[in-house]
Amino acid sequence: MADLDFTLTATPLLGGAKHQIGENQIVERDDLALVSVAIPLGGDAAVAKALKSGWGLTVPEPTVSSVAQDIRAIRTGPDQLILVFPHTTPDARAFVQAKIGEAGYTTDQTDVWVVLEISGSDTLAALERLCPLDVARFAKGGSARTVMEHMGAMIVHLSGDRFLLLSASSSAQSFLHAVELSYRYVTG
Amino acid sequence: MIIPHPLLGPRDAAEFVYKGDASLINRPDGMTASDDEMHDYAYLRDNPAGEHRELWYHEQGDRSWLVVTRNTMTHDITYVELARDVARASGRSR
Repeated sequence: MADLDFTLTATPLLGGAKHQIGENQIVERDDLALVSVAIPLGGDAAVAKALKSGWGLTVPEPTVSSVAQDIRAIRTGPDQLILVFPHTTPDARAFVQAKIGEAGYTTDQTDVWVVLEISGSDTLAALERLCPLDVARFAKGGSARTVMEHMGAMIVHLSGDRFLLLSASSSAQSFLHAVELSYRYVTG
Repeated sequence: MIIPHPLLGPRDAAEFVYKGDASLINRPDGMTASDDEMHDYAYLRDNPAGEHRELWYHEQGDRSWLVVTRNTMTHDITYVELARDVARASGRSR
């Protein structure tokens, strides 16, 4: 065999996009891992216990995420939640499963979602034009699954005018375009 | 139209898909039901002018199925519950 020495380099979906629009920033977060946890029928208490003993996490409310030790838990459905946390190696599922054990079923969703962090004084106005939710009334850490410009998306409030937006990685470019355009509408 | 989701609060109807009459939950047992019963289940629906119980699927949301009681004359929504709670209350599922 020929002496070939390949090195594969991971590339962010949007090439680590960073956009400044007026006073606002759109930044691709490619440092985050996402692992969903499906709760078996009647297994809510076991998952709550595993989250608590694993990371000191409480089970997130349907509309408010919970955070502990850099790990954010977001409710995505009646029997499902997703954990979002900074993680550099491609073993996020094993990391979560080790703590969850038999209590829940985990799936690595890191490469399935594109994650944008948006911030700036025009953020609420931009979001009002992008999704059918009353984002201004979100509680701190508020979260929702919704639709933005016909694309399924997740939105999480981080602090003040800082939000995390998640959408399908397959339409990452279109999603970035939609967010960017919404900011352009409100910054003139 | 705004649908008050029992878990998530008021959400825009655009996030939902209409799935039909809530009586679809009560599917007869295909192994024992008569042809007439299966025919009625598959094809016959009431079409009330007034209160109607219907299934809505929160596709662009938490993927839950809801039973929405809605007035077809005024679009007033008077009651919303999770479809699985309705099914379990009537002895379906586990």
